[in-house]
Amino acid sequence: MIAFASSLINWSYAWANRGALLHGLLVAVEVSALSLVLSVSVGLLLAVMRMSRPPFTWLAAIYINIFRGVPVIVTALWVYFGVSEVSGLNFSVFVAAVISLTLLYSAFISEIFRSALEAVQRGQREAGLALGMTRPRIFVSVILPQATKIALPNIGSMLIGMVKDTSVMFVIGLTELVATVQNLASVSYEYFTLYTAAAVIYIAVAFTVDFAFRTIEKTMQTPPRGGIARAAKGRRRRHVQAIMDRFDASWQQQGTSAP
Amino acid sequence: MALTRPIADTTLVDQALSTAPSHALGDPVVVVEGLRKSFGAREVLCGIDLCVRAGEHVVIFGPSGSGKSTLLRSINLLEEPTHGSLKVFDVEYGPDGASGVRRGNPLELRRTVGMVFQQFNLFPHLTALENVALPQRAVRRTKRAEAEERAALALRRVGLLRHAAHYPNELSGGQQQRVAIARALSLDPKIMLFDEPTSALDAELVGEVLEVMRELAEAGMTMVVVTHEIGFAREIGDLNVFMDQGVIVESGDRTLFDSCTNPRLQKFVSAVL
Repeated sequence: MIAFASSLINWSYAWANRGALLHGLLVAVEVSALSLVLSVSVGLLLAVMRMSRPPFTWLAAIYINIFRGVPVIVTALWVYFGVSEVSGLNFSVFVAAVISLTLLYSAFISEIFRSALEAVQRGQREAGLALGMTRPRIFVSVILPQATKIALPNIGSMLIGMVKDTSVMFVIGLTELVATVQNLASVSYEYFTLYTAAAVIYIAVAFTVDFAFRTIEKTMQTPPRGGIARAAKGRRRRHVQAIMDRFDASWQQQGTSAP
Repeated sequence: MALTRPIADTTLVDQALSTAPSHALGDPVVVVEGLRKSFGAREVLCGIDLCVRAGEHVVIFGPSGSGKSTLLRSINLLEEPTHGSLKVFDVEYGPDGASGVRRGNPLELRRTVGMVFQQFNLFPHLTALENVALPQRAVRRTKRAEAEERAALALRRVGLLRHAAHYPNELSGGQQQRVAIARALSLDPKIMLFDEPTSALDAELVGEVLEVMRELAEAGMTMVVVTHEIGFAREIGDLNVFMDQGVIVESGDRTLFDSCTNPRLQKFVSAVL
């Protein structure tokens, strides 16, 4: 079976067109990265709205349920063609793709953030309040860092999903990976080769994203785990060590017995 | 990094003394009158009157569900009283205060009243040092370097300077609670509230936390402690308050435990001891 399949794949043809394929990948990654940043921001805002009081909670719930329900292809066509039809506003294909993915993924990511924010123990907020911290400061310095750590693995999955979903954007003419494959194949008819190459590239992206998010997770662990994580936090650790040494020394100089 | 100022060799004791309340010793600093708190239809505080004086150590004890934690949490408004008056340093925070008295802002209240929780509630994503430094930066807008110096001092006072770089999950329960105490003290509170500070600890770790609290009490800190440690109450309690079913059943000085006549209190004390 594998031998049969590999006999159908013209690897040298795929390799010869690596420039075009990688350019397609680059476009897909650019769109995904930008959409990820935007949908994490919008998603966090939606999660906070959802957890606040009416009417914000209703508005957020309506948004979330609409955009969790609409397929990617419908959103893409609707943003690219529909919006210009209605408002006269013309987006470039790239911008339309980013808007579409942000609309959809912010809805999913807001639910990820909501459950993560709710998973942070109530005592954390109370400790912040008892110390006289303001609610916004408690959110930023106490709740959000803990919620982010909880949300991170799921956001990684969202990013992998996003890279895959850029492939749908070929319907509005974005020359990402699948559109590139279509263009090449329409001339060479090497469909099987090209789609296999595309699959390999998508899988490579999934592994890369997984590795990157695992590394970030390890950095956020307490204490940080793994070489990269420890290196990232090393400067900070040496800083604390210096403070400890200084205060230990000053204690001994004054001849007071340490407790 | 060079030190910008000499480090005062303050122990826990000196520190607490230096932050002694602006009120003279013995002046009422927390006055609770007719305090009621309901959760839905269930009333957990049914009219509490309590006066805490500067430098005094008040110990509140009683069976679980008696409302002692709710009373403590009302003093820094973690629970909003439903009715009654709560005056802290002559500022009214309760819903039914006398008219004409200035109504206080909860944020200001909490900046003069420190609290230690049963579950420590350290911030797990921060090291011990950062746990103590963060509130100073957030509440007092202290610069990072100075906040960290003060945090190191505070940790040294509870004997945990060497653990400054540890995260809460790398510390024992007793060590975590001592960091929590250092965190509250580093903001120079005038009153300290302790909500069952040793209840979540293994028996052999209780001592180290009580030791820190004892030092604080000897230094003249005004303290309100909810605890099951009757021995500790006998030792430091100037005013011992026995609560049951949302009311104060009996209160008194150290002799309360020996000469109590109330059958409910007798039963509770004999069960705990």
